Parts: sequence; structure tokens; C-alpha cells
Amino acid sequence: MRGRFRPGVFWGSGVKRVGVAVLVIVFVVFALLPRQSQFLFHTLGEPLADLVAIPVKGMAAVDRTLREWWMHYIALQGLSQQNRQLRETVRQLNGEVNRLREQAYMAERLASLLEFQEDESVRTVAAKVIGRSVSNWYQGVILNKGEDDGIREQMGVITPAGVAGRIVRTSGSTSIALLTIDPNLVIAGMIQRTRDEGMVQGTSQGLVRMKYLPPLSAVKPGDVVVTSGLTGGFPRGVLIGEVTRVEESEDSLFRTAQIVPAVKFRHLDEVLIVVSPRSPEAMLSLDHALMAPGPQNPTP
Amino acid sequence: MKIGAYTLLTLLLFSFQTTVLSSVNPFGIQPDFCLVIACFIGFRTGPVHGLIVGFGLGFLQDLFSAGPFGLQTFTKAGVGYLAGVIARNLSNREPCSAFVPVMACSGLSAMVFLLWSRMGMGLGEMLYGFSYILLPQAVLDGLVAIMASWVFGRWLFEAPSP
Repeated sequence: MRGRFRPGVFWGSGVKRVGVAVLVIVFVVFALLPRQSQFLFHTLGEPLADLVAIPVKGMAAVDRTLREWWMHYIALQGLSQQNRQLRETVRQLNGEVNRLREQAYMAERLASLLEFQEDESVRTVAAKVIGRSVSNWYQGVILNKGEDDGIREQMGVITPAGVAGRIVRTSGSTSIALLTIDPNLVIAGMIQRTRDEGMVQGTSQGLVRMKYLPPLSAVKPGDVVVTSGLTGGFPRGVLIGEVTRVEESEDSLFRTAQIVPAVKFRHLDEVLIVVSPRSPEAMLSLDHALMAPGPQNPTP
Repeated sequence: MKIGAYTLLTLLLFSFQTTVLSSVNPFGIQPDFCLVIACFIGFRTGPVHGLIVGFGLGFLQDLFSAGPFGLQTFTKAGVGYLAGVIARNLSNREPCSAFVPVMACSGLSAMVFLLWSRMGMGLGEMLYGFSYILLPQAVLDGLVAIMASWVFGRWLFEAPSP
């Protein structure tokens, strides 16, 4: 009987019909009320996500152990470890240098104002990457910290090297972060040298683009791009990447810069989730203070 | 019993894909094993079971996806159904014959994602998505289907025992 298929292997035909009818209704509701249905799906799926997270975490632990074992004991034991440590140190130092440079810029201007506003500390939660989004259309990673650890949607995700992404979905014990290289993620950025602000967005090619730069911006290749801190989730001055090319078209009002991200997304193992960055309101008041007339901003 | 076995298999496969297999991405494209499984269930047991299993698999993927909720659920359900319909009209039952149907299902599913995620981002992004994500993924899923057909060929292309 090759080629003949018999329905009803798992369910009786009555149950099957009901199942199909339910699916059709769900589909229609989803098409008519997408936002509400997504919320409902998410709420219903949360307990299931916690359940599924158990084998995922187990598998991730096995995977991590095997990879570390391979890296440390088989593939050039000593050199590999040393190289990894050095690279990690360089990455951390790069982030530190960038942070200090940003602080120096800020301190310079603050000092000229004879007014000091205390910098609120940034609180972060460390998380491990336990998996990757299965879809090729969304660049995301699964993290082992969720709502139980205080993680909420829209929180920023960073590494010592720079900005990694933003939390887009949470369950009790896991969360999903959309990476900076995804075209669906937009972050407010700033050219560190010129202080020009723009919107940083990923591209399908795995690069990052900074859009809406002022037409008279003096941005040039090699300039460092950092977060402006004006949108929620990120503190000001976290490294995003380095400008490689500046595009200017005659029919556009703005300039666009292509950026190579500072974070190596293929080797993302641990991240920091920004639980409390400085609030956008605080940043705005700081910017207003900085733009107020003073020695460096004289009144025209 | 079978439902339990399939649920366990699905959980293991999903965990395996998101963790260990996430680094298996030739040319930067990751094959969608859940899509292939949804197609195979459709081939084996008909469109309705393909639809229901696809729905379940998609829902699972949606829980851990960075995209909007529901997209995986409904595309996988559609793919499972479509695979069942195609299988009814498939005369050639060799393992290689799984290539074209799975590739077509993957391509159609990816088209939904392309329109949803890249619409409004400009023609360049759309064309890049079509050429460098949609087409390679469809071919890769088809190749995975051929390999899986060789492994599960007997189970896949023979009618279930009463």
C-alpha cells in the first residue's frame, strides 16, 4: 500500500475536526486582533516557556561543557586559553577606554558649567546565552535570566565590548534579546567626537547603520559611535561601533554612516542586562544644562 | 503513547536546534529542523495532522523567537497542512522527492517572514532578504529533508500500520 496515507493515527476524527475548527478560529482572531492575540498567546505560553527552558538549559550546559572541553584540552590547550583571556582583556579595556573617554568629554563640559550633576550608577544583571533564535529573519539570543530575576522587556543588553541588543520577550526563567545587527532594532546613538545624534539600526548583512545624521555633520570613517542615552534601556556612552563609511545622497536630507559593531555576535556567551540605566528625563535635563549659556556655550 | 513520543522528540529537537545546532549555519543560514519535521508529519499522516503538529511546533518556536508572537505558529501550521496536501498528490516516493516539496514549503514560509520583517525597510533590504536568506534557506531545508528522508525513509514513505 505504498503511497496511501491514513488519517486518524493520533486522534479520532471528531477530536480532529474540533482541533481544526479551534485552529481556524484562533487564526481568524489572530488576523483580526493581532496585538491582543499576541498578548494572549504570550500569557498562555509563559508557563510552557518555563517548562521548555529546562531541556534548553540542560542542552546548553552540555554544549558549553563540550565546547570548553574542546577549547581547553584538545585544541591547543595553553595557547587557546591565553589567547581567549587576552582577547577578553582587550575587549574589556576597549570598553573601559571608551567609557573613560566619554566621561572625560562630559567632565570637561561639566567643569565649565561650575555645576555638577551626580551620575546615577547603572545596575546590571549578568546572564548567559543559552541558545539562539531559530529563525534566520530575527537575530536573537535566548538568555538564562527572566522575570524572576527582574528582567523586563525593553531593557538594554550590553557586553564589556559594547551594546549587544535589547530584551524583547520574557518568561519566568528566560528572556529573548534582539541583537543590534537586526534590522528591527533601533537605538538612539551619537557620534562621540562630533556629538551628532542619529538612529542606529541593523541591516540584513549583519552590519549596523546610523541614520538621520545632520547634513552638516563632520562625521568621518573611524569615528566612534556610542549610545546617546535618550531612549530607554541604555546608559549614555556605551560603545556601539566604529564608522567605516559615510553615505550622502543628493535627494536625502540626512547623512547615513555605516558602522562595524564592536560586539562579536558570533561569540556572544555572556551579557549584562541593564536593569536601571539613567532615566531619559535625567539625560534630557543634563543635556539642557550642558546646552545652557556658559564658557563653552556662550550666548550669541 | 505516540503523542508523548512526538512531544518528547519535539522538545529534544527544539532544544538541540536552539543550542548545539545554532552554530551549524553554512553561509550564515540556519536550517529550520522544525519546519522539516512539520513537513514530514504532513507527508506521513496527512494535512490535518501536519497542521496541528505544525501549530504546536511553531508555538514552541514562537516562545523563544525574537520576532512577533504567532508568526512561527501560523506559518508552521500552514506548512504542515500544505505538506500533507502535496504528499497526497506525490507519485514518486523516493527520498529525493522530499526536496522540492520541503523547499517550496520553506520558501513560502520564508516569504511571509520576508514581507513581515522587511516590509517598509526599502527594496534593498527586501532583495537582500530574498537572495541571501529566503533562497538559501529553502535550498538548505530541502537538503536537510533529503538527508532526513534517507534516515527515516521507511517510516516516512510507508503507510502507518493499523
